Amino acid sequence: MISIQALKKSYKGTPVVDVDQLYIGQNESFGLVGNNGAGKTTLFRMILDLIRPTEGTVEINGKNVQGNDEWKHYVGSYLDENFLISYLTPNEYFKFVGKLHNYSDADLKEFLEKFEELFHGEITGKNKYISDLSKGNLKKVGIAAAFIGNPQLVILDEPFENLDPTSQIRLKQFLEREQKERSLTYLISSHDLNHVTEICKRIVILEKGKVIRDLKGSDNLLMELEEYFKA
Amino acid sequence: MIPTLLSHSWKKLRRSVSFTKELATSIFLSFFALMVVGYSLALGFALDSIITKGLKQEDSFQFLNSLLIYYFGFEFMMRYFMQNLPVLDVQPYLHLPMKRSRIVHYLLIKSLAHVLNSSVFLLFAPFALTVVAQRFGAAAGWSWLISLCLISLCVHYIVLIFKKGLDDTLLGFLALVGTLGLLAASDYYGWFSLSELTAPLFFSTVHNSYLLIGVSFLFGSLYFLNFQFFLKSMYPDELVVHKTTTWGKNQDWTFLQSFGSIGEWINLEVKLILRNKRPRTILFLSAFFLLYGLIFYTRDAFTEKMPGFLLFVGIFITGIFMINYGQFLFSWQGSHFDFTLTRPISIRQFVESKYWMLSAVTVICFLLSIPYVYFGWKIIFIHAAMTLFNLGVNIFVILNMAMWEPKKIDLQKGATLNYQGIGAAQWVMSIPILLGPYLFYLPFSFSGHPDLGILAVAAAGLIGIALRPFLLKLTTRRLQERRYTIASGFRKD
Repeated sequence: MISIQALKKSYKGTPVVDVDQLYIGQNESFGLVGNNGAGKTTLFRMILDLIRPTEGTVEINGKNVQGNDEWKHYVGSYLDENFLISYLTPNEYFKFVGKLHNYSDADLKEFLEKFEELFHGEITGKNKYISDLSKGNLKKVGIAAAFIGNPQLVILDEPFENLDPTSQIRLKQFLEREQKERSLTYLISSHDLNHVTEICKRIVILEKGKVIRDLKGSDNLLMELEEYFKA
Repeated sequence: MIPTLLSHSWKKLRRSVSFTKELATSIFLSFFALMVVGYSLALGFALDSIITKGLKQEDSFQFLNSLLIYYFGFEFMMRYFMQNLPVLDVQPYLHLPMKRSRIVHYLLIKSLAHVLNSSVFLLFAPFALTVVAQRFGAAAGWSWLISLCLISLCVHYIVLIFKKGLDDTLLGFLALVGTLGLLAASDYYGWFSLSELTAPLFFSTVHNSYLLIGVSFLFGSLYFLNFQFFLKSMYPDELVVHKTTTWGKNQDWTFLQSFGSIGEWINLEVKLILRNKRPRTILFLSAFFLLYGLIFYTRDAFTEKMPGFLLFVGIFITGIFMINYGQFLFSWQGSHFDFTLTRPISIRQFVESKYWMLSAVTVICFLLSIPYVYFGWKIIFIHAAMTLFNLGVNIFVILNMAMWEPKKIDLQKGATLNYQGIGAAQWVMSIPILLGPYLFYLPFSFSGHPDLGILAVAAAGLIGIALRPFLLKLTTRRLQERRYTIASGFRKD
């Protein structure tokens, strides 16, 4: 699905991301953890071609993402509020993104029904602009929009941040349910080790831009992670 | 797709806070736009008679053609200041399944929706369709007009690339202005005449369409060049030039520390002013405004016949920073107002830090204006009186009016044509500030003692200064009451 080769990003000579080789397979749920400044978001941005790498390439389904528009049809993503259009209402925003994926109004309605629980009646149907939403609700709008168009790959940066406990649990259930129903690759970063280990079967630890652990499929991922971060 | 994006930008405009909530601003802006259109059209219609009668030139068409090159030079400068490619607006679209090329086309097409792009048409259409069409036929008139419009659009795209390529540095711009000025001067003194070279070129459009074809081709290539350029750099972190300002980077006004926490907050504000684009522009503008007097003091018409008008000039010269910066006094720190309220500084100290900062700058402006003594002692006399009035009265007007529903300001955005933070308060504020002195001056002036009038203004200022503790207390109490409203206003975008 994603193949990263000798990817490097430096700002003024200081490397921020320096990943030799990383391959993320189809249907894999990939978690990225690391302390502040480890380069998680920068890595995500390079995967989404929002930052030009200093060196190296990112390929999605065998094609370099740089300057390429094709992958956008099957990659859904939400990193931060810059992904939202603040002066639209959530409904208008969903409709706009839906149109890009050729959703009809009925398709969109059906799609949004899946999120009713998570939205908790606070997002759709309200005549509020995105700029007036709270942080948690912004996140919900962004995450929902990332799932429009049945993406094969979904990239989320800190999806649980700012969500209330109920929403965190509902989001977790939603993510798991989606992956069970169809082939779906997740790329999720989180500071919450509990959540990320529950969803992701593979966890990579990033430190100072480098991959220093690549933990796969073991039963006690959480313990290993806690062990690492304690040090 | 592009129409959808254009409808988004229309929504953005219509739903923006300043557009919906600030009636005064939208009225002003539409008025401004109407004024530009009206004046351009009026000038366009009058162009022929201005040139033939006013400037006594025989052939208005020839004369205009020789000036066109400078018109476009001027247009370039105007565009340089007023035009920007709003690249960040496309950030929410970059990760969506949309062709990059479409996004770039959208940006480039949208950039055409600018007041400046209509000015060449408004200015020259009346002339083209009357004078030129009468002399050379309608086709010639249109050919001339369309050529000019296309050249103007070429300038539009040149500016976009120019600004991006030079990273928006002032140096590049100054070099350009210098070159243009030199050319104009050499034209004037007859060393080398650019206008003689270009005038026949513009004239030729009446007979053949070589220029029209050439310009169309140039326009196409410039669009393509822009397209290629922005397509390659569609990265948010590259599109915004993160200029690391060296302004005030290492400065710490340690002497301010001796004034305790008030000094610390003034220090903070000085850093805010020096390190951010918009307040810094205001500072430069104020320095520039010190020269304002040269327009008036050099003419006897003002100094002899309209002494009352000089009060105006005096208020501006000594108080321009106070007025310009002070109208947004709380908005500047809007992004950290909650911080201010939760730190160990009393509201009184906060108000005082603002008071002393504004006072100090006003006094500095007065001191810098002393060389105007060259034009007569009276001018310094007026300046001194206006300084006192600014320090005693206007400063409290500003402190209090600035509390009226202030809005957050994005410090990094430029100051030209930036209406962020402007509300009703900013419009109303100017009335007492500018008319206040006349309240004291006119009674004496009408009774034949203008000098006494100026003394009265100074006296009003002195009374204000004497009442300072009391006025500061009142101001503090008002901020005390209004702080919740102000803080919640700042939390909104």
